[in-house]
Amino acid sequence: MGYFLRKKNLVPYLEYLKKEFDVIVPVQNSRNATVFEPWKGQELFIEKRTIFSPKKFFLPNLEREFLFEKKEKGYKIHETIKHKPRVIFGIRSCDLHAIGTLDKLFLEFYGYDLLYRNKRNTTFTIGLSCAEAAETCFCGSMNTHIPDFFDLFFWEKKDGYFVEIGSARWEKLLHKKFFESTSEKKGSNPKCPVSLDTKNIDSLLMKNFGHVVWEKEAEKCLSCSSCTQICPTCYCFLVLDNFLKNGDSERYREWDSCQLQRFSKIHGAIFRKTRKSRLRQFVMHKLSYFKEDHGIHLCVGCGRCIKACPAKISLVDIAKTIQGEKNA
Amino acid sequence: MHEFESPLKPETAEILGIKQETPNIKTFKVRFIDKKRQKKFFFIPGKFMMVSIFGFGEMPISISSSPYKTDSLELTVNAVGNISRAMHRLKKNDIIGLRGPFGKGYPLQTLRKKNIVFFSGGCGFASLRSAVLAANAKKQMFGKLFVFHGCKSPQELLFEKDIKKWPSHGIETFVSVDNPSPQWKGYSGYITDVIDKAEIPVENTAVLLCGPEPMVNIALKKFRKKGFSNGQMFASLERLMHCGIGKCGHCNIAGKYVCVQGPVFSGKELEKMDWGEI
Repeated sequence: MGYFLRKKNLVPYLEYLKKEFDVIVPVQNSRNATVFEPWKGQELFIEKRTIFSPKKFFLPNLEREFLFEKKEKGYKIHETIKHKPRVIFGIRSCDLHAIGTLDKLFLEFYGYDLLYRNKRNTTFTIGLSCAEAAETCFCGSMNTHIPDFFDLFFWEKKDGYFVEIGSARWEKLLHKKFFESTSEKKGSNPKCPVSLDTKNIDSLLMKNFGHVVWEKEAEKCLSCSSCTQICPTCYCFLVLDNFLKNGDSERYREWDSCQLQRFSKIHGAIFRKTRKSRLRQFVMHKLSYFKEDHGIHLCVGCGRCIKACPAKISLVDIAKTIQGEKNA
Repeated sequence: MHEFESPLKPETAEILGIKQETPNIKTFKVRFIDKKRQKKFFFIPGKFMMVSIFGFGEMPISISSSPYKTDSLELTVNAVGNISRAMHRLKKNDIIGLRGPFGKGYPLQTLRKKNIVFFSGGCGFASLRSAVLAANAKKQMFGKLFVFHGCKSPQELLFEKDIKKWPSHGIETFVSVDNPSPQWKGYSGYITDVIDKAEIPVENTAVLLCGPEPMVNIALKKFRKKGFSNGQMFASLERLMHCGIGKCGHCNIAGKYVCVQGPVFSGKELEKMDWGEI
């Protein structure tokens, strides 16, 4: 036995959740980009995967860490305030796995990050199955097509959603008025158009540090950092201080990108000066380095970076060239 | 949600004294304002602190004082960037922020009964000085100690007092300057060239390196030629760091985070990394 939500009940259900939580849903914004935004009654965009992932609700592109209040002697340090409980609705399987991947780094790896931890603990996630695969996605190859790390997951059926339960705290999201019992079973996500053999890819890439493909692809690269901005698992950030009034100052963090020269710049030296080394850092971090420490790839196979690249550089093509399936 | 402390929160500390080491390098003696925190503070040489200059930012600085000195710690800072220049403008009794210590220090614990070569260039001497002081304080635990240091000119020689004092403690010192003045009596030229002139036993000896990366690269090659294996050598690397806890991603070299898995890496680890590219 499971739970079922009729399609006509979806919006009333979200409205019910809105009484208790901040509800974040996928919508089409004024520039025709599909993004996750706090819901103010706009029309939902649930036909396809969104262009932007909900990453920014866990790692905001700009976020204050501390406020340093100047006292007569010394400083008083204020931390960032806590958040109202939130529900993010409509996260696809790949983006759910991206959250799980970020958990590995921000909650487990050499201690935790409190800003991420607070947001993660107060955010409920409701997943949504894909009706059709996007043209560049390869989640099947990265093993992220089976959803995980959700509180509820909605499998789309003919006239409603079969509700899969993924956590112990899901009962907070339950309301008997909307859910009815059903004998339907959960479904599966559609097959991806792109595939990549990921067996031993991490050690294979490690051995091919000097492969010609890096040089060739880097010649096309514009170092625009679109790939890292749009990636649901790219987490690198910089920390900067800013002066406010009366000697007070604030410390904030902002997204950074390994595709920029300043990323590895210290006095007098830029450690990754060439586009080749920066592009290699991105691809290797996704498919090789991260696995060594965490046991999983940093890539979830959403294919967004391939779609976003203005120079049409593809992470999958680079990996396939090194595997020998494609010519450089 | 506030049962946990943020690992990024700095603690305030007071500058007790400032010493001008060279025209561009100052050593700051600092102490946590919270007395309990200062009492609990301990570190292994080679570890670093994240130093906040409020309003300017945060930077990683290695500790240059002895780990057996518990009432304060010393930070040797070269004025090369926005934050370090702001720090140079501070005066006695000014307040800074401190976090740490972070990273993995020099493996002095595993080098007992062995001879140790301390090899540094420029401001890299800061973290190695702490290691030399620690080894010198427990001299009976180690074999013979060798200190190599290279700098640009006699005016830029760091910790001159210590270097003059150490030979009387049985430490062999080799100091070389790139541009010697007429009064200069030590070696001249690159410090890496002094390796060939010095007599160092290869067996039962470990090499600790810290300094500019081209120097470390050449020194590793020369020591290898002399017969040292990769497992005998440990180098401390420098990278841009914004968090110190393995999150911000700036210090990533070939998947290794310098801030938590380093900054001291063994020769075996360095072999697998693309750390030489500048």
